[in-house]
Amino acid sequence: MRRRIAAIVSLALLPPLVGVVGALKRQDSQAERYENERLAMVRQIEQYGVRDSATLAAMRSVPRHDFVPREQRRRAYGDHPLPIGYGQTISQPYIVAYMTEILEPEPAMKILEVGTGSGYQAAVLADIGCAVYTIEIFEALADSARLRLRRLGYDNVLVRHADGHYGWEEAAPFDAVIVTAAAGFIPPALVDQLKPGGRMVIPVGSVYGVQNLIFLEKDTSGDVRTRNLLPVRFVPMLKGLR
Amino acid sequence: MTRYSRPLAIALISASTLSYEILLVRIFAIEQFHHFAYMAIGVAMLGFGASGTLLALAGRRPEAQLERWYSRSALATPLALIASATLVHLVPLDATQLLWDSGQWPRLAAVYLLLALPFGVGSLLILLSLTLEPERAGTLYGASFLGAGLGTALAVAVLWLALPNRALAAPALVAALGALAAQSGVKIRYKAAAWAIILFAAAVYVKPLWRLQMIPYKGLPQVEAYPQARRIAERSSPLGWVVAVEADAFRHAPGLSLAFRGTFPRQAALFVDGEVAGAASDWGGNSTARALLDWLPTAMPYALGKPEGVLVLGAGDGMEVWSALAHGADRVVASELNPQLVELGAWSTDASPVRGGPAPVDWVIGDARAYVARSEERFELITLGAGHGLGAAAAGVHALNEDFLHTVEAYVSYLEHLTDNGVLSITRWLTVPPRSNVRVILTVAEALRRAAPAALADGMVVARSWATSTVLVKPSGFAPEEVAKLKSWAELRRFDLDWYPGTGQHETQFNVLDEPTLFEAMSAAVAGTDSISAFVAAYPFHVAVATDSRPYPHHFLRARSLLGFLRGNRGAMLPFAEWGYVALVATLAQSVLFAAVLMLVPAALRAGEMGRGGWWLVVVYFASIGFAYLAAEVAAIQQLNLLLGHPVYAVAAVLSAFLVCSGIGSIWSDRRPARSGWHAGVVIALLLSIYAALLLFLIHQLQPLHLAIRALTATLVLAPLAFLMGLPFPLGLRVLTGEGAVAWAWAANGFASVVATPLAALIALDAGSPVLFLLAAAAYAGAGLTLRRAARRSGAVLLQT
Repeated sequence: MRRRIAAIVSLALLPPLVGVVGALKRQDSQAERYENERLAMVRQIEQYGVRDSATLAAMRSVPRHDFVPREQRRRAYGDHPLPIGYGQTISQPYIVAYMTEILEPEPAMKILEVGTGSGYQAAVLADIGCAVYTIEIFEALADSARLRLRRLGYDNVLVRHADGHYGWEEAAPFDAVIVTAAAGFIPPALVDQLKPGGRMVIPVGSVYGVQNLIFLEKDTSGDVRTRNLLPVRFVPMLKGLR
Repeated sequence: MTRYSRPLAIALISASTLSYEILLVRIFAIEQFHHFAYMAIGVAMLGFGASGTLLALAGRRPEAQLERWYSRSALATPLALIASATLVHLVPLDATQLLWDSGQWPRLAAVYLLLALPFGVGSLLILLSLTLEPERAGTLYGASFLGAGLGTALAVAVLWLALPNRALAAPALVAALGALAAQSGVKIRYKAAAWAIILFAAAVYVKPLWRLQMIPYKGLPQVEAYPQARRIAERSSPLGWVVAVEADAFRHAPGLSLAFRGTFPRQAALFVDGEVAGAASDWGGNSTARALLDWLPTAMPYALGKPEGVLVLGAGDGMEVWSALAHGADRVVASELNPQLVELGAWSTDASPVRGGPAPVDWVIGDARAYVARSEERFELITLGAGHGLGAAAAGVHALNEDFLHTVEAYVSYLEHLTDNGVLSITRWLTVPPRSNVRVILTVAEALRRAAPAALADGMVVARSWATSTVLVKPSGFAPEEVAKLKSWAELRRFDLDWYPGTGQHETQFNVLDEPTLFEAMSAAVAGTDSISAFVAAYPFHVAVATDSRPYPHHFLRARSLLGFLRGNRGAMLPFAEWGYVALVATLAQSVLFAAVLMLVPAALRAGEMGRGGWWLVVVYFASIGFAYLAAEVAAIQQLNLLLGHPVYAVAAVLSAFLVCSGIGSIWSDRRPARSGWHAGVVIALLLSIYAALLLFLIHQLQPLHLAIRALTATLVLAPLAFLMGLPFPLGLRVLTGEGAVAWAWAANGFASVVATPLAALIALDAGSPVLFLLAAAAYAGAGLTLRRAARRSGAVLLQT
């Protein structure tokens, strides 16, 4: 009798057990697939000319697929921007890497980001070891980015739902500022909150992708100078246009 | 069926489908971007062609059955219009993801088919009428043209009266009346159904079943999602849907100096068709905030001193008007096309230079080119601002927009309206590598070469901020002390002077470009025309001078470059792609694909039935006149845009004139012997060649006149051509008879029109409207010769006619 009960219980437990094992296996294979795609993405970014080892290591480490909506995950590592809601996008991986490299981030640097979006750029900077202060005007995006970054263990990112125009005065000055929501002018407070010797990068564009990068440097005397950059990857394309 | 009920039904159904087509252009401009307008025209033509294919495949049917189909297609048209508008708003299409998300393509196809549905059903009614009464082809085809002409007027009228969402329901109401007219002499249940549909369409007009689904990347949905944002006003007209939104987090200061440390005024965002068009700013009551105006790149000419008279072109929200007043201008003339933008710019009394504002401001509501052409007044400063937003400039979403404010003829006219010491100031957003900035420099230099050649060496200054470039032109030349003033003003604001009289070599103090492109462009411009040609040829983008015959100052991508993009990595093209241009090419590819598939299927199935060689004569003839009609229309629209000042007026005038006059021509054709059909093709070709040579010249002469007189003259000028263009289709039908010929003719004509719409736009973009007129002329001449050959082949048929 006992054997019979054990057999019935075993039979009853078998399907869910198989299901759980299958799910775990699928999860493993999915994780492995994402990792392979991520490594391929970083190899491509390297080919495009990004050399900074800290930036590349962070891009290898941060799970980009966790920063895009579920229905976009299979395209997460493609070389293009993706929508994340509220008319916002997560930038092309190459642009994220390029902007990160321009900022020359180092561990313990204090960085202000205006326009958190999904939190991916903040996670890349945090992975390098920077303390990231990030501001998002859309409350839902700020909340979801905060939860996501906490869940993924990026404790060195602070997310605030606020108007980026005024910067983050209590935490200023910053070693670097990244403004992903420039609308034809750069808020004076952001320039003020940049340390002498600090760097700022402003990607200008639309949903279709970054068209123009503006790099701003503040010298030790507080004077600012900008440079309009064409990311190196795009230069060869110009030859095809002649 | 009474003698008049069928033409009446056709006229009403045609009016409904054409007004739906025009309203779709507006809806696409609002929900997506302007360049999707060509898709709206393409789907209409697709529907027309598909109905021809369907009937060709159906083969010969008894008359009673065709009459039943006629009644049912009339009843189905209003329902299809309502179903199309409702269902298309349920498809979650994000066209921006088409390049890398294959899941968007079936959605786009669904949108295409849903939009084509009412055009297919509506044109089936016309086609069945032509099949049932071939002896009245001219009258019936003419009724279709006349109805379409009325539809144009209906669309424009309804856009003044209703917001775009509700306006989209109006065509169904008109179609329902057409359905009732079509039920003359049929069973009572059909009539009852028609009355029920009228009531249903009226109910949908009162409470539409759909809501506008704007893509989320436009400024309006984003600013409305800001905390405490609220829509404070909205207006609709054919010129655009204007919305004002108040939100604390919205600020507008295009290209503001990095050195500015003052306060911002209270502002409300202004949108036209969902894109930022400026801000209603409370400058009046806050002199501290008004200081901001002096830190914008557009304030540069005021560094030369207080101007007496200022002309602001494209004044829109009034910011540049306030800048002129804040800098002490004694008199300001502000020109703006859209009165509703000016009205909402006056959001509060204090913010308004119109109501309760300072006295010396004259607003000229209308086309700036026309104002400049008729005005005798001269100004110390004429200024043009950067216009639309920074992101839009970079993404090239305005590449297809005709813009007659930035052509060389326009710049010459501005220079002629300057006082002896006057200055022209033009500010544009900066892209990398520079595009519009380079074109402005080359165009201004060409204008100066025409108006004041001696001033080339010392009459231009080019300044650049972190985001913009400003070109100042002074035909009398800048004195050294003026250059010193400009230098000092720019230095304080961290702007660089790329060029000024006496520039030695390129200097950059504040804003570094990888290459000194603007300096190089100016050097080439000053050196002479050969040097300009060499510079343009070597530059990666198309930056040649924009002219009135090719008025696309925002289009920079060369046609051949697109192939390179398609072959290469799509991500690498992102910074350079002009999305308007890419969308147009994609529309052409889709049109060719659909046209080929739907033409080849019946060709394979029915080729034998029309006799050896018969079908290709029908196809060549009706495809040629289909292409030529659309090409002539597109060319006329482009040139009348300059005359009437806005594409909507140009579209309305050209379509009305073409359709009504062609309709009269078609009706008249019933009295003409079919053998004269080929003469019409040749005469039209001659007329089109004359238009190619002279129409633009005539438009320049008419520009100073009042808008109503210009519109009337335009109609009179187009009328004879349009009248004659109504002849070839019905005359061709009478010559090229045979089994299934009507359906074949309809399909060939419809599909040639599908392909012609984007193709003609591309030709206009790359070669200009006169070339398009000439191509249309060649196509009509070719069609005439084809008809002559067909007439010789079918002598028996001709004898009967």
